[in-house]
Amino acid sequence: MSDTDIIEQLKQGSELAFKKLVDTHQKLVVNTCYGLVQNREDAEDIAQDVFVEVYRNIDKFRADAKLSTWLYRIAVNRSLNHIRDNKKHKWFHSFEDEVAAKNKAVMQVSTANSDEPEYDFENKQRAIILKEAINSLPQNQKVAFTLSKYEELSYEEIAQVMDLSVSSVESLLFRAKKGLQKKLYKCYKKKCM
Amino acid sequence: MKCNKVHNKLIFFLEKELSVSEMEQVQKHLNECSECALFAAEMKNTLRILDSDKVTDENPFFFTRVKARLEKQSQEEPVARPVLIRILQPVAFSIILLLGIYGGFKLGQTPKVAITDSSLSEQEMVPYWNELQDEPIESFLME
Ligand SMILES: [Zn+2]
Repeated sequence: MSDTDIIEQLKQGSELAFKKLVDTHQKLVVNTCYGLVQNREDAEDIAQDVFVEVYRNIDKFRADAKLSTWLYRIAVNRSLNHIRDNKKHKWFHSFEDEVAAKNKAVMQVSTANSDEPEYDFENKQRAIILKEAINSLPQNQKVAFTLSKYEELSYEEIAQVMDLSVSSVESLLFRAKKGLQKKLYKCYKKKCM
Repeated sequence: MKCNKVHNKLIFFLEKELSVSEMEQVQKHLNECSECALFAAEMKNTLRILDSDKVTDENPFFFTRVKARLEKQSQEEPVARPVLIRILQPVAFSIILLLGIYGGFKLGQTPKVAITDSSLSEQEMVPYWNELQDEPIESFLME
């Protein structure tokens, strides 16, 4: 069953078509949300809302549009809303503070589990630095970077999802990488872990 | 190439997004400068995390949860408001439509007298414009 068939049947109220749509695109939506919110549980929670929105608004979906583009858009918007709502509960933290706090958590876990190989421990630290660095990017750069790295979308596809020109996407990704590089270097020099 | 220039290009070097000559220059520097080479290795290991940090498995209960959420939301939806909207909206539209029709009749009737007036004034206008054509604008400027 193609996306067009699924949507046609869903518009007629077929539950089987809805199940097919969810099953086929679950990974795409959950992974996109995960790339943005960096938490599997939250990502699945947001993804469920994405599909609820799809179900409720299927009549508004244009027949000539691409289903995946629509799904990416809803997933991005909902994830950004989630991040914004979460930020309200948090006082301002600098990038270094965040890393230090997370590192403390890793230290506690790893001392509890003393036979963990050092390689894994180092990689955990790297993951924390990387995630905090990505999180500190401006919103549009973060979205473009996530779609590029987590979903491996082309510049053209990212441009469609974000409703931007291809050159704007190029510029966003360039600035995102520059920003990451700067943060990673700062952290490397200061031994922030 | 100097160290800080290499630092600025390192991520693009690792992503293989530099020109051939720049790729060669950075590689040459990394071969000679152990400090930059160490940072490059660390950055490579850090960025490599992105390759495996993805959701690759599916939650078998996912669809059931989406369905449960849909059902829960449709139960929670207030019934009173949609009913009110369902009745009030057609009533409001009917009133607007009737007003529109009535207004249309009114508008259609009154200009009937005015049209003959305006057609007269239009005829009067024509010779005036023709006169202007006869008298070129330059003549005003000449005087
Ligand atoms: Zn160097």
